[in-house]
Amino acid sequence: MLTFLNKYRHAFLVGLQSNIVYRWNFLIRAFFSLFQLVVVFILWGAVFSGTDRVGGFDLPSTITYFVTLIVLQFFIGAFNEDYQISEEIRNGLINQFLLKPVNYFAYRFSIFTSARLVSGTLMLVPLLILLPLYKSQLALPPFEAWRILLALPAMALAALIQFSIAYCFGMLTFWFLEIQGFVILSMAVEALLGGQMFPLDLMPQRLLRIAELLPFYYQMYFPAAIFTGRIDYARATSGLVIQAGWALALLALTQLLWSRGLRRHTAVGG
Amino acid sequence: MSYLRIWLASARYSIVRTLMFRFDFFLWAMVELFWMSVNLLLVTVIYDHTASVAGWSKYEMILLVGTAMLIQRYVMGFFWSNLFEMSRNIRSGTFDFFLAQPGNPLFMVATRKLDPDGLCNSFVALGVVIYAAHRLGLHPGAADLAAYGLMILCGIIIHFSVLVMSASLTFWTTGGDSIVTSYFSLFEFSRLPRAAFKGAANVIFVWLLPVVVVSNAPASTLLHGFQPSYAVWLFAVALAWLAVAIFVFNRGLRRYASASS
Repeated sequence: MLTFLNKYRHAFLVGLQSNIVYRWNFLIRAFFSLFQLVVVFILWGAVFSGTDRVGGFDLPSTITYFVTLIVLQFFIGAFNEDYQISEEIRNGLINQFLLKPVNYFAYRFSIFTSARLVSGTLMLVPLLILLPLYKSQLALPPFEAWRILLALPAMALAALIQFSIAYCFGMLTFWFLEIQGFVILSMAVEALLGGQMFPLDLMPQRLLRIAELLPFYYQMYFPAAIFTGRIDYARATSGLVIQAGWALALLALTQLLWSRGLRRHTAVGG
Repeated sequence: MSYLRIWLASARYSIVRTLMFRFDFFLWAMVELFWMSVNLLLVTVIYDHTASVAGWSKYEMILLVGTAMLIQRYVMGFFWSNLFEMSRNIRSGTFDFFLAQPGNPLFMVATRKLDPDGLCNSFVALGVVIYAAHRLGLHPGAADLAAYGLMILCGIIIHFSVLVMSASLTFWTTGGDSIVTSYFSLFEFSRLPRAAFKGAANVIFVWLLPVVVVSNAPASTLLHGFQPSYAVWLFAVALAWLAVAIFVFNRGLRRYASASS
């Protein structure tokens, strides 16, 4: 067991370093997230100029939701893991994993967790520096211990779901030459149903009930909504069960695609 | 005249190429359609909870978003992939190929191919604008429609200039294509009404950068009739940005030293 963990500890360390390799990637992403925040401020500021409450929430709690979303994105979101995996398949870098007792999924996931740990922490820096600018706009719900206790596992499961989806898109390289189209297509779906365009609870109730059954709901909106007080205890606990179900299902799908894909894979050169 | 013939030849080549990669065409058309729907859904959801945003009613807002989409679809269809590839070509040295052609380099680079998927979706965007105008009971006269069309053209010129400038930065730095990608974020602002911008945001996005006027000017022409001040403003901005873009491109061209091989 210890040697097992030791193996992936090294992958974890590689992930820490990958942040240095992809530093431009990070900086540009961080810059645009802040840009996005400006859009949020302008749009929702204008929305709330005509009304005090939207869906039962005031402007500060709506802004808090979007700020939370950005923090979460840098801690648990999949960035370009799909493209990296796709590259490794196309270049034949995965061939070495077929010969060694290293599980490719576990290897990639270790890199993902360490990379996100760094990117999440780094993202806190500009957000904290700029805090005086928007501090008056924030409003957290009254402190309740269960929110933290449920939001943390929800975050971990959300990370697993996000990574698994990215991994599955990477696996498509076994069948398709280009995965970019699929990735951007799913980005639109994820942006909408993951709650990045607007808090999902603003949707008509009937549609919200459907969204709750989909995995996208759990990859971003769910942990953010627990943190910012947009869902109650009952909904959070039942959500956690569905979320765990999706995490397992997606995990199974990654393994299925990997074993199916390898059958089509022809390792050339070495 | 010969430039028109060159352009028609590239258009023909692009259509043949699309027919060869039909699945690609379908996929990318879907991608754009999805993103357009996402933006329209955002508007719909917001107006479920309020009647007006910065003084704009729901269908006025849809008209604005549709106008912004229309301009962006034309830019995507005509220029986007050419200019995106330009920054890549500058780095790899393939850019030589364009300099060797007997024509204005910027023209040769910018018109190499079309993306029919973006052009197809421009009809969807146009449909959105017409639908919104219909719901608002607008009956614009021929002059208003002509003004709207010209303003859309100015908008395309402005987008084109911003893209040329970002891509030209590759002559100096290597991070050019991420800057080109940044263009998308910038133009998210053009889906917002001008009145929503206050304070510093008003100075930056309305006065310094052309992202807000580009969509707001044509949309309010349809909504409230022709306003000379908006038209002059948009026209001047388009001219200025195009001039700067051509200047930056030509300065960059002087720096271009090809790639060693």
